[in-house]
Amino acid sequence: MQTEALLHAPEAATQPTLVVDRLKAYYTTKAFGIDRDIRAVDDISLTVAKGEIYGVAGESSSGKTSLIKTIVGAIRPPLHVVDGTVRFNFSGQSYDIYDMKPDKLQAIRWRHLSYIMQGSMNVLNPVRRIKHSFYDFAFAHMGLDRATFWDKVRDHLRRLDLDPGVLDSYPHQLSGGMRQRTTIALATVCTPEFIVADEPTTALDVIVQRDVLAMLRDIQRDLGSSFLFVTHDMSVHATVSDRVGIVYAGRLVEEADTPTLFRGARHPYTQHLVASLPKIGDTTRRASLPGRPPSLADPPSGCRFHPRCPLAMDICSREVPTMTNLTPRHRVACFAVTGATP
Amino acid sequence: MAAYMIFVARRFGQLLLVVFLGISATFFISHMTPVDPVAESITAITNFGKSDPEAIDLMRKTLTELYGLQGNLFEQYVTFWSRLIRGDFGPSLSAFPTPVSQIIFRALPWTVGLMISATLISFLLGNTLGALAGYYRKSRILKILSLGLIGLQPIPYYVLAFILLILFGFVWPVLPITGGYEMNADLTLSFTLVLDIVRHSILPAMALVLVGAGSWLTGMRALTSNIVTEDYVTFAELGGVGSTRILRSYVVRNAIVPQLTGLAMSLGAIFNGTVITEIVFGYPGIGTLLINAVHAGDYSLVLGLASLSIIGVAIAVFLIDILSPLLDPRIKAE
Repeated sequence: MQTEALLHAPEAATQPTLVVDRLKAYYTTKAFGIDRDIRAVDDISLTVAKGEIYGVAGESSSGKTSLIKTIVGAIRPPLHVVDGTVRFNFSGQSYDIYDMKPDKLQAIRWRHLSYIMQGSMNVLNPVRRIKHSFYDFAFAHMGLDRATFWDKVRDHLRRLDLDPGVLDSYPHQLSGGMRQRTTIALATVCTPEFIVADEPTTALDVIVQRDVLAMLRDIQRDLGSSFLFVTHDMSVHATVSDRVGIVYAGRLVEEADTPTLFRGARHPYTQHLVASLPKIGDTTRRASLPGRPPSLADPPSGCRFHPRCPLAMDICSREVPTMTNLTPRHRVACFAVTGATP
Repeated sequence: MAAYMIFVARRFGQLLLVVFLGISATFFISHMTPVDPVAESITAITNFGKSDPEAIDLMRKTLTELYGLQGNLFEQYVTFWSRLIRGDFGPSLSAFPTPVSQIIFRALPWTVGLMISATLISFLLGNTLGALAGYYRKSRILKILSLGLIGLQPIPYYVLAFILLILFGFVWPVLPITGGYEMNADLTLSFTLVLDIVRHSILPAMALVLVGAGSWLTGMRALTSNIVTEDYVTFAELGGVGSTRILRSYVVRNAIVPQLTGLAMSLGAIFNGTVITEIVFGYPGIGTLLINAVHAGDYSLVLGLASLSIIGVAIAVFLIDILSPLLDPRIKAE
């Protein structure tokens, strides 16, 4: 079972850049001597190939952000890894995020692995000019002398249609869109092989959103980096992601190439997500899924979707469905789709 | 830059206004007392023997002029300001005829020297420990140190001062327990004199630092533990920025702004003197001076000390105002 994730890797001959294997990460809180586990990431396996944009979708509080925080090793107590591994492959070298020395991990950050955080409005130090952030984050990783370094930073900003003058600004002097693009420029200046973007366009209006998405696409094409792209917005996934994984209540429920997922989703939850997207000319009212997302502290037994599922059977409340391949690139965890034998 | 200079000029105008109003208020309050200082002085002088009425009359005229008390209240007020601008508060009533300014400036260096060093030491100590304790929340040594300093904080200052006096003056008599220097010291500047002054200041300074550092520590620790959860700190950690750099340029740099405001306020309050410190340790500063002046009904000296403290606080507030936009660019200079 250790190699389950690898079996689902795309057929590409190269090794996947990211392999997440049976990852479990819980928030454990102690109150009055009673341990409570909130299972934000529960038994998730996935792989991201070199140069691929992997989208993670799911509703709010489904554990998307916990999943990617665990993947990049940005977790703080009470969130902790219970089981499983996260392994990156950078230039032929393999790195296990939870089995390496902190200084080694620090050394691959930004050089190979960078992160565009949710709420990028507040990710830049408010009391220092932006150039200091570029210096702190990137200078040590690039191994250049100062003059060449700044030339490179300015070139990079110009390539992303940003005035190099932003370097001398304070974050509060920039508009939301400018700040977000500056943050993306900061995350990509070292040409990392893997970029994680958590809701990078959520706070922006659609026009700026389009620019930022186009910019991310361009960067991905230029650098050939892999992306892990997280957003609840299915229409953004439709335009950006190569492949999408759907997370429901801390578990991966379906994963497929974007066109397959949007045209032939099999999991009832995914089908609802896709059906909720508006279509031009269609004026019928969108059906809302009954019920609410479950509490991760006390999730339903068996398949976590069964209380809201129109296809629920007896077995769904008793057994946990495992991810099963329908085609080599389409996996789904649902008894109604794969038959009732777990 | 021009906008900043206009801002500084306007704040300076406000400073002058505050000083003017504060000192005026002090003037009117002190001159509304029913006590007639001229009569008080004459009584004091004539207590020792009889004088003829003519001499007393002359004395009354001279004293009234010296104290700036001729004419109605408004005329006195004008005289007061015209003297004050030249730095003249008139003669002290209790140490007649020594001018008030001379008495104050004799005591001032003691208070300022002691208080500035004690305030700065407790600021640095408290904030450094507070920032470290907020950032490295698991460190046991830091927990113990913070607990110790915070535990000292609620002890009344004079109790702590007496404990120190007993410990270092009697149980283990290594430090002088009273005065600012040895009684028969040669007051020309020399290494021995400096050493002597430093030795005398250790106990009062230590008491001030031990009581003061705890509140800086609590404040800084709270600010730091808020800031470490900010997005920009998490982002810097994910960016592989070193932890000393994060602590210095991201955490402390953001937390220090409100702390510096507090520092400026404490430095401004130096001119109030610390009455208790100076009385307990027999320190020859303006706190001792103030107590004596109040006891002796020496209101020109009290007025002088009050004016000094108004000017001190006003300048401190002015400095905070003009420095804030430089420390935190989000504060607009307007």
